[in-house]
Amino acid sequence: MIWALVGGPLLLSAAFMLAYSVGLTGLLAHGLSFAAWATVLDDRVTWISLGFSCWVGAASLGISMLGALAVLALRPAPVARSMLTPWSLPIAVPPMVAGLSAVLWLGNAGALARAAYALGWIRRPADFPSPIYSTSGLGIIVTQAALVLPFLIVLFDRLSRVHRLGALDEAARTLGASPSLAWWRVRVPLLLRSAAPTLGIYFLALSGAFEIPLLVGASYPTMLSVRVVQLSGRFDLSTRPQAYALALLYALGVAVSSAVARRLRTSTPRTERI
Amino acid sequence: MRRVSNIALWTAFLAPVALLLVWSFAWRWPWPAPLPNRWRASAWTDLAATGGLGAAALRSLGIATTVAVVATGLGFVTSRSVAEARAREALQWLLHLPFALSPVVLGVGLEYSFLRAGLAGNLVGVALAQGILAYAYAVILLSGLWTARVGAFLEGAATLGATPRQAWTLVLLPLARPLLALCFVQTFLISWFDYALVLLIGGGRVATLTTSLYQFVQSGDLRLAAASALLLLLPPLVALVTQAQPRPDALAGEPDP
Repeated sequence: MIWALVGGPLLLSAAFMLAYSVGLTGLLAHGLSFAAWATVLDDRVTWISLGFSCWVGAASLGISMLGALAVLALRPAPVARSMLTPWSLPIAVPPMVAGLSAVLWLGNAGALARAAYALGWIRRPADFPSPIYSTSGLGIIVTQAALVLPFLIVLFDRLSRVHRLGALDEAARTLGASPSLAWWRVRVPLLLRSAAPTLGIYFLALSGAFEIPLLVGASYPTMLSVRVVQLSGRFDLSTRPQAYALALLYALGVAVSSAVARRLRTSTPRTERI
Repeated sequence: MRRVSNIALWTAFLAPVALLLVWSFAWRWPWPAPLPNRWRASAWTDLAATGGLGAAALRSLGIATTVAVVATGLGFVTSRSVAEARAREALQWLLHLPFALSPVVLGVGLEYSFLRAGLAGNLVGVALAQGILAYAYAVILLSGLWTARVGAFLEGAATLGATPRQAWTLVLLPLARPLLALCFVQTFLISWFDYALVLLIGGGRVATLTTSLYQFVQSGDLRLAAASALLLLLPPLVALVTQAQPRPDALAGEPDP
């Protein structure tokens, strides 16, 4: 019963995608064919989307990790444990609202561009170096990093307390390490090691984001999730089998990665888990 | 230092909200004016108009409440079998999978089967698709309830002559209330925030606040987009304020391994 409730919808979804992608069901079914899979695997855009998704996920996570480490370095006092703190506020921000806010602040005619004009730094909207719709994905990266940063601050803060890193820091300094050496050689490696499984899940979630890339991303290159929706054929049904093939490939990759992350987590000593 | 950083963080959150508020009242805001030239409250008066933003907000509220009630109830009833299952690790991995996957992949996968079952393009289908995510979340959260401590309470009640029904209603439910409240809020927000499943399963025939927001952005109506965004922010902020005090950890006793 519980297996059916938990795994049933996922299995049903995967089975339909597989059957549709090999031509066994659906409006375009003409018997078993792997043409859609071959097209997806041969298509340069598939691999560009995959690389772009990984880049955006890694960059968003990297920037927010650096930001969280910087905040903890500058603010050694523990983060408040109440749920209503500045750290918890991003929980209240849906991705759609984050995307819209990014457009209103960072767009060519956004609040920062108007401020830059008022300060005499630019003369036209086009002069403003807006990251919105950038082909490098900078707008997506900045928006996602801003949303994730507070979560990582709380995560690193909790891990610091669990590991009693303050005491280890002091021990390193007593043994002659400079503050920066103690930070980089003791605190940061321990933090990153114990946070690795959670960071892995964050990476997957950031790489598979949909709403923010849809609002702030360029039309090309696109993230994998956006590519899947494009192929699922809102207007052209002929590419739908490719959408299912790509979605299945992506799901398989995520399933394997999350199994590895989970294995890493269970192999982590219980006291190190968050 | 701490006070300064708190002020900076509150400002970082409140400044975007303030900008959304200004945009929702802006009638004309040409470049490069620092503030709108003309102000109007029509985005907000549209709330009362039939088929307007108000209808989308009510639809979102109805779907999210239904999803939260069903997912929390079903999750509460079934979480015990997950917590006590021999293959608990595998079940937990399966429950986490929909979150690691992009909801888009889940939506694309369900789209065709929902279409065949007559569930695409209507409220029931959207709620059911969101319910899959919300139910998984509810089970993950509520399986933390079934600790040795709660088991001892139930056994104690049975020893003292309580029927299974009395043990559930008089012992378990009061113990579980904070966690159930948290679960209700979180599953409500899963549905409230969702755009991908509404887009794919609703197929453009189910308009919620998130789909309305996207359409307003696409059509260049930032005034209505900002009003939609402010409405989207309202329930999660209320939830944060009301949930500021109770912590489920106290009840759960042991962390989820």
